[in-house]
Amino acid sequence: MKIEIQITNQTIQSRGQLENFPAGAIAEFSGVVRDLENGGKISALEYEAYSPMAENEMRCILESLAEKFPCLAARVIHRIGVIPVGETAIYVCIAAEHRGEAFAMLAEFMNRLKQDVPIWKRRAISSVAANVNLRTSGPSQPADSHRRPQKVLSLDEALAEIHSHCQPLPAVRVPLAEALGRVLRETVCAPEDLPPFDRSTRDGYAILLNDESETFQIMDTLHAADWKPRQLKPGEAVRVATGAALPCENLRVVMQENVERNGDQIRIARRESATNISFRGEDLRAGKPLLHSGAKLGAGALALLATAGNANPLVSPRLRVVHFTTGDEIIPPEQTPKPGQVRDSNLILIRSLLQKFSGNLEQSHLPENFELAKSAIGNRQSAIKHSDLLLVSGGASVGEKDFTRQLLEWLGFEIVFSQVNVRPGRPLIFGVNGSRVAFGLPGNPLSHFVCFHLFVAAALAKLVGEEPKGFLRAKLAAKLDGALNTRETLWPARLDSAGLHPLAWASSGNVTCLPETNALIRVPANRGPMETGEEVNFLPTTTE
Amino acid sequence: MRILFFAQARDAAGTPELDIKISGSVGIEEIWDGLVAEKPKLAAFRKTTRLARNGEYAEAQTKFTDADEVALIPPVSGG
Repeated sequence: MKIEIQITNQTIQSRGQLENFPAGAIAEFSGVVRDLENGGKISALEYEAYSPMAENEMRCILESLAEKFPCLAARVIHRIGVIPVGETAIYVCIAAEHRGEAFAMLAEFMNRLKQDVPIWKRRAISSVAANVNLRTSGPSQPADSHRRPQKVLSLDEALAEIHSHCQPLPAVRVPLAEALGRVLRETVCAPEDLPPFDRSTRDGYAILLNDESETFQIMDTLHAADWKPRQLKPGEAVRVATGAALPCENLRVVMQENVERNGDQIRIARRESATNISFRGEDLRAGKPLLHSGAKLGAGALALLATAGNANPLVSPRLRVVHFTTGDEIIPPEQTPKPGQVRDSNLILIRSLLQKFSGNLEQSHLPENFELAKSAIGNRQSAIKHSDLLLVSGGASVGEKDFTRQLLEWLGFEIVFSQVNVRPGRPLIFGVNGSRVAFGLPGNPLSHFVCFHLFVAAALAKLVGEEPKGFLRAKLAAKLDGALNTRETLWPARLDSAGLHPLAWASSGNVTCLPETNALIRVPANRGPMETGEEVNFLPTTTE
Repeated sequence: MRILFFAQARDAAGTPELDIKISGSVGIEEIWDGLVAEKPKLAAFRKTTRLARNGEYAEAQTKFTDADEVALIPPVSGG
């Protein structure tokens, strides 16, 4: 295969054709800079590359893919430097004999490029003069950021920050039996046609398609696993079972119900137009993508991977999570609270919510004093260092306001934000340390529940390489009797076929609405009550 | 040995490249140990950042010598 690769800081204009090839298919792709990055308006993106290696890596990827998808030629141009909105960042052109290989090669090349080629989006240049950092605010930032005035972010701003600071963790190959619920991180194509041969969909007799003979001589009998090619002549028939590979092309299968059999001869009692054949490649053609990178692997997807012979798919890793609870008033559920104490519900809440994500969850309780907490953490430092996600419940109590924040900074996390203009859940802390992310969650159970689904779930989705869920729309099945509030509110609700039923809650300490809740209604700031029938945004909270 | 830093790793290192002296042949973990000793902020990158040796991703068993050019490749985001 002929390969041309170019990394340039110039505008990509001359696409040009890949000439002089007996190509039946030329597939072109342009990746264009959009005016939205992580929910914010931008005017340009800046890219950087380790050019010699990037060129070499792209060449290697194309060469290895060419073994699977034989193509004639490929041209790739990746632009680096500042690229304005609307301009092309990457251009790929594949020439092949047939479209199947060209499409498959193109799709798979882009997936592999995004995993292995050393090119980085460095920052988004915002359409209002200020720069929006993409990931440049990594661990290099000074740890004294808490002295800067902290901005209260809107819900959308907070989600955009989480989105831009979390990166998909390196994918792993696991056996199919361990892949349920994970996110596929490669595009899987059909290795062969499906069905792989013309096969009978009935128990009956195969004859030539236009054979008008009166009687037929039975030449052979074919069962489901038989492979016996032979050319039929007029007046000849082969007994076939459902699922059997047919002996040649240009046949029809006459159902046995429509045949009168006499020894090794048959007579057709009734002719019908159906051929009763499932043709080779009818379900799927070889090389066609079966499942795309980013697909969630359910039972059906796993069955398809097994059919395609992919016994060890490349998938998202299970996450390593460390969870600390704080608060001297917290006691274990089996104890009876003394005045001023409450039973802990956050350990089991977080454990349950994380179940489908975490491979390893370490939970413990910290004393509500920074120095004591530090020494309690002491020997858990290595667990934290090797974790992907750190969660701290509570620690925002009066008088010790910065406890969680201080703790995260002491552990090397840079605080991205510490206040979000939502209720419940305003004092939410989000920090990053390299590829690790941390959340300080307000300790009240309802705040915990809301913050997990709003923010932690968004980070988890990004870490495993899944599309973030986002808000859906549905109608209110009953009046939402909320008082005017200057903050956006996430209102617990029950979604059923009639719509959303708002549930009663008075404060973020309420827990009685939690068992019923399967959705959070997004109530805009400064909205009073909302009437039955009004269409609203909501976030599903089912974690099954 | 010349070490190149890209993207966030360059921010953390505070420099696009670094020269360190090594003798004999060393493995990935020893390179990291040396880097983190020199630039402690790079510790945060150890888990997700791959090393390249002379423009190719290093394998677990790859050995490096003083003549090699090594690059730190944080998670990529091209395209």
